Amino acid sequence: MIHYSGNVSIQLNVNREIHEVVVMPQDTLLRVMREKIGYTGPKAGCENGDCGACTVLMDGKPVKACLMLAVEAVGKEVLTVEGLEDTEIQKAFISEGGFQCGFCTAGFLMNAFALLETNPDADEAEKKDWLSANLCRCTGYEGIEKALTLAQKRIQEKNNNKR
Amino acid sequence: MKTFEYLRPTSLKEALDILKNHDGNVSILNGGTDLIVRMREGHSSPEVVMDIKKIPGLDQIQVDEDRITIGATVLLNDLGLNEVIKTRYPYLAQAALSVGSKQVRNRATCIGNICNASPLADTATPLLALNADVHIYGEEGIKTVPLKDFFVFVRKTVLKPNEIVTGISFKQDPEALGIFTKMSRRKEVDLSTVCSTVMRTGTEYRISCGAVAPTPVRLFKTEAFLSGKTLTGEVIEEACKLAEGEVVPISDIRASEAYRREMVGVMLRRALSEWL
Repeated sequence: MIHYSGNVSIQLNVNREIHEVVVMPQDTLLRVMREKIGYTGPKAGCENGDCGACTVLMDGKPVKACLMLAVEAVGKEVLTVEGLEDTEIQKAFISEGGFQCGFCTAGFLMNAFALLETNPDADEAEKKDWLSANLCRCTGYEGIEKALTLAQKRIQEKNNNKR
Repeated sequence: MKTFEYLRPTSLKEALDILKNHDGNVSILNGGTDLIVRMREGHSSPEVVMDIKKIPGLDQIQVDEDRITIGATVLLNDLGLNEVIKTRYPYLAQAALSVGSKQVRNRATCIGNICNASPLADTATPLLALNADVHIYGEEGIKTVPLKDFFVFVRKTVLKPNEIVTGISFKQDPEALGIFTKMSRRKEVDLSTVCSTVMRTGTEYRISCGAVAPTPVRLFKTEAFLSGKTLTGEVIEEACKLAEGEVVPISDIRASEAYRREMVGVMLRRALSEWL
């Protein structure tokens, strides 16, 4: 049985690196990543599980970091937007202007990235379904959708070339 | 968020001992998508948070010939995307996939949705219609409570402080047809304004609604009226009127009492009309 009380030292695997951090049991994964490790990509939007700005991937699946305790992430692989450098989805968000104020961007990137990893051949309905899990207060959804479609096209082209 | 002790047992026995040793001051942490929000807002400040995700044997959807059992830690996404559930009980799959958002469903569980006992718990209506049973582990071992008797009031269940839900099961009825409806302002990431499951098995009907009473409810009077009848336009209208009178909704931020009442009729009319 695991028993944490007061300050405890845990190891978190974020962006393929092990980070040793001291946390309290009530610290959320979001706060620990932002304030103790320094990954400020995931944003504290609503901290209520509604907006999706804090989305990270845990063992490849998108989850909301504000709805998780840091101690629950021990032994899991966490990926934040900082781990998406030089990916097709990052490039496409830049070239298609997939953001306005940028606050929701990291969350959208993580969800879009996870979709393309899970199903690179997703159809329009599936893409809309995945993107509807995040909110953009600037209502810049069109650019986000275009970015996802462009990244998908590039990934499909790459996969075809490999075949 | 107030500080607490975090305990992660690796067996049901250990979990029960923790519950007994901390008499009533334990919150069970499953997916945490509700508990963490409640703790952050100060609605809940337990001394101990007990994470049950590492208790073996609770993370399976067990499909037996005559029963299906959903383990306590089965994720909503895993339930909604399960092949057997999707093909034989699509209304349950739809309900599971209508909760929160994709990210939330990768953490949240069906049993958590039920144990929160929210009046608008989306997975409650299909499970009520399926006459599901809740399996509860306590000092006397496992006992079973029908889901309809499990809910007591808003956020209140019959679960005692020294008990833990291990899963929910229902008798297989692949012949039954069911229709799940969720009315909400936004398709994804929203709570139900009203939700319902209407089920038909032979000439019997089962109707359950969420967000129209202090707990998710079955509309037994309307069901009795429909029982054995051939569906016609008039029968459906009569049933809808009965159903609207059988629910006791309130007005809140999402809708008025009158709107909810009317929507109960609308959902029932649409569902029954599928089988005309």
